[in-house]
Amino acid sequence: MISKTMVAASTKPVILSILARGEMYGYQIIQHVTELSGGTLEWSEGMLYPVLHRMEKDGLIQSKWRISDNGRKRKYYHLTVQGREELEKDRKEWMRVNKLLNRLWSPLSLPD
Amino acid sequence: MFDLEEAIKKWRRSLRKNEALEDGYREELESHLRDKIDHLKAQGFSDEKAFAEAVKKIGDRDLIGEEYFKADTKKLTGRPPWKKGLLPTALIPNYFKTAFRKIKRQKIFSFINIVGLAVGLACCAVIILYVVNELTYDTFYKDKDRIFRVNAYQVNEVGEFYMATTPGPLGPMLKDTFPQVEEATRVVPPYENPDSVLVVQKDKRFFETHVFFVDNAAFRIFYMPFLKGSPEHALTRPHTVVLAESTAKKYFGDEDPIGGILQIEVDYDIGIERVELQDYEVTGVIEDAPMNTHFKYDMLLSMPTFLANRQDFDTEWVNPHTKYTYIKLQPDTDPSSFKEKMVLASQEVTRQFEERFGSSLKVNFDLQPIGRIHMSSYVRREMEAPGNWYYVTIYSMVAFLILLIGCMNFVNLSAALSATRTREVGLRKVIGAQRKQLIGQFLGESSLITFVAFILSLVLMNVLLCPFNRMAGTELSIAGLTRPLVFVPLIALLVLVALGSGAYPAFILTAFRPADVLQGRLAQKLRGTGVQKVLVVGQFAISVFLVICTMTVFKQLNFMRGQALGFDINQKLILRVKSNLDHLRLDYEAIKRDFVSNPYVTGATVSSSVPGDHDESGYYMTTREEDFSDTMRLKVNTVDYDFIPEYGIKMIAGRSFEKENRSDINEAFVINRAGLIELGIPTPEEAIGKRYQAHYHRMWKTIVGVTENFHYRGMQEAVEPLLLDIETSLMDNITLSVSTENMNVLMRGVRATWEEHFPGVPIVYSFLDENFDRVYRYESQMGRMLGITTTLGLIIACLGLFGLAYFVANFKRKEIGIRKVLGASHWDIVSLLSKRFAGLVLVSVFVAGPLAWYAMTRWLQAFAYRVDLGWFVFAAAAVGALVIAMATVSIQGMKAASLDPANSIRNE
Repeated sequence: MISKTMVAASTKPVILSILARGEMYGYQIIQHVTELSGGTLEWSEGMLYPVLHRMEKDGLIQSKWRISDNGRKRKYYHLTVQGREELEKDRKEWMRVNKLLNRLWSPLSLPD
Repeated sequence: MFDLEEAIKKWRRSLRKNEALEDGYREELESHLRDKIDHLKAQGFSDEKAFAEAVKKIGDRDLIGEEYFKADTKKLTGRPPWKKGLLPTALIPNYFKTAFRKIKRQKIFSFINIVGLAVGLACCAVIILYVVNELTYDTFYKDKDRIFRVNAYQVNEVGEFYMATTPGPLGPMLKDTFPQVEEATRVVPPYENPDSVLVVQKDKRFFETHVFFVDNAAFRIFYMPFLKGSPEHALTRPHTVVLAESTAKKYFGDEDPIGGILQIEVDYDIGIERVELQDYEVTGVIEDAPMNTHFKYDMLLSMPTFLANRQDFDTEWVNPHTKYTYIKLQPDTDPSSFKEKMVLASQEVTRQFEERFGSSLKVNFDLQPIGRIHMSSYVRREMEAPGNWYYVTIYSMVAFLILLIGCMNFVNLSAALSATRTREVGLRKVIGAQRKQLIGQFLGESSLITFVAFILSLVLMNVLLCPFNRMAGTELSIAGLTRPLVFVPLIALLVLVALGSGAYPAFILTAFRPADVLQGRLAQKLRGTGVQKVLVVGQFAISVFLVICTMTVFKQLNFMRGQALGFDINQKLILRVKSNLDHLRLDYEAIKRDFVSNPYVTGATVSSSVPGDHDESGYYMTTREEDFSDTMRLKVNTVDYDFIPEYGIKMIAGRSFEKENRSDINEAFVINRAGLIELGIPTPEEAIGKRYQAHYHRMWKTIVGVTENFHYRGMQEAVEPLLLDIETSLMDNITLSVSTENMNVLMRGVRATWEEHFPGVPIVYSFLDENFDRVYRYESQMGRMLGITTTLGLIIACLGLFGLAYFVANFKRKEIGIRKVLGASHWDIVSLLSKRFAGLVLVSVFVAGPLAWYAMTRWLQAFAYRVDLGWFVFAAAAVGALVIAMATVSIQGMKAASLDPANSIRNE
């Protein structure tokens, strides 16, 4: 399980990364996250939608209503140019943090 | 069976409860839910379980809504409106702000509302002060449940009486005999001059009213905190006195009164003894007696002084002297079972009475809790006139009615204005105000108005209290408002007024749907609602009711004052002799001669009471030797030879007293016509020569004359049987027939003669007509009270009507304009506006008339001589109300009619 603060901090980059793979609707996003994290990252599912709404307001993603094959209305989200830039920026930041933590945690630098 | 679609539908509807979840958001969530359910069902979940699991996974509606709200809002705090803020009352300043704006914008309406409410509140506050004062009499004692006055129920051959007074030895006996009695004290007013004890300190001389002899135990029974001196031995020695604070100040100023000497003249007992000034040493100063106690004292004298002058007081069980006994029982003593134990004392009275007079007197002693004395008095010889439930109730009702008129104004004007405010409400709703916020706003407005009115009413109260105190004989002050018993009901009243007055717009107006309101469908519906009409009728009905009552009370008063009384009431100067009484009783002929030598004094007479005095003395008369079982009671006034001619009382048979008949002083008496009936004598002539024995002094006397009835007690009661008797030992009033052309010379002469005969005694005088008017004091009090409140009520009601007319005139501005263009005259316009109000006022007359008729018929029944209600009062009230109402409306009508139609039509 991953703590709440970590989930909150990672939500945006996670969504951006998933949408980078292609257009998706909310339920698909959740399923992707659950699969890829092996079930360790669990969202309160309804809370995804306000986040998507905010990201759309911020111009990172765009949505479109479509009728699916079984007649169900679904809202599909895809990245905007700005969203891709944001993803790139996030990726760099996370890598930097990752690198730092890796160094800190490598056996050599562990304090005695 | 679980219906999935139904469940989803329900869930979807439940999402609407959160206002942040807009249509699109909800749709997306539903789509998600359905995907999830499909997914779960594919894993083998049942419909029901899949649904429950999916709903749980999606999470709390309000949290999602809150996130959406945060994304959408520009509010810095991001706090959605359905969540409670840190300050739950965050909107209240806003309510007051808008309320304040409203008050400013609608000056006329606000003025009417505030003034109306303020007058109503001021009346109510004064009455609450009065009622609380009446009802809290003697309730301030810490152990009031243990303090009792002992009353006596007496039965003897002439009748039965409940008396507040009890024998002198009773108190000490109860204390010595019964361990249940913790303390006992006697309270004894001076015998002959209880309301006028002469007190001298160097050059200061005053008559004091509230002077009593008490046992030292009084300090342990009553609440009498010592400011100087100590309660242990303050009144244990003869000739010591404890003063109330203000009395001490009056005689000693800023000096220390302890050890100071006061010369006090007290009469200890019946009979002509020399009453003289005696020295008393001041041993203590206590707080002034509170306003709301029946036992009001300025000076307390020591009981040993009294005992030294009246040795028999401690053993005398049957002396008619006026004295009271108060006891305090031990905690946990049951007063009713204790009452029965007092039979011991009763037997002693009966024994002594029989021994002395050979006839029987049965006495039962009763305990009256001190807190009940004022409002539930049932005994004779109360220390002060007890409270009167009748007037307490009437005054409370009248004050409440006035407040009601004020509140009705508020509701009425709000209702009228609401027609113009529906748009405001509609717009506020569209912008997003919730109903409870709107209710808050309207109640905020009414609270603010009520609050402002309350502040104003405090000022008004100060103005009203002064005449009220004079009328009711109270000493109420605005400081009384701080008493919890006063301010709790007052605050409750304020809240009630604020809520009641604001309720109509708050609850009715905010219930409409904004779409209706904004399309103007409602304005039509609201105008001229029944509520408005009912309220106008209510206001005027109350006013007309009060007008009729006031007029009737004054009619009755004028009738009573204008009736022929049967004696001369004008140009009579009454001198009250309060000191040196034996000089009056021995030398009254010489004193009268000296007064009559003044050219402005034409005659003089001496008597025990004058018309208008509330004198209860009477004789029980019998025709038999020793048997008083069959007696007749006549009130008695002891007089001198000149009384009947000086007062111009008409004789209908026999003769008046004559100086030439030396035996008159011991053997003759005169009765009035009513006395004939009491004695069972058919004609006046037959009465002459009849002999009777009086129970009082056991002397046989002969009727020498019969007078016409004269109304010596006012017109409320039928003339009671009266007996006139020459008995010098009871006289204490001098009546001078005077000519008042030259008051200065007259009074200078009277004062000089007075000073000659009663040196050092302050002169107390009054004119008979003023004195006599006191018998009507309750009626004239009520008349004035009603007069004031009725005027106020009418003014408020008219203010309200003025406001309504103003509103209607404004509302119909266009109609009036068009009518004028089409040729309507001023008169047409005025009558257009007046018609509807005239109808309402007439209806109110028909509502009020029967009610007033009923109330006044009942009130008048108490009078032996009364006016007819008559149609005139009703007609006058109706016409008066109509004229005043129409005058008020016409002012608006004239204004509206004189407007230039071009302006009013062009507008908009």
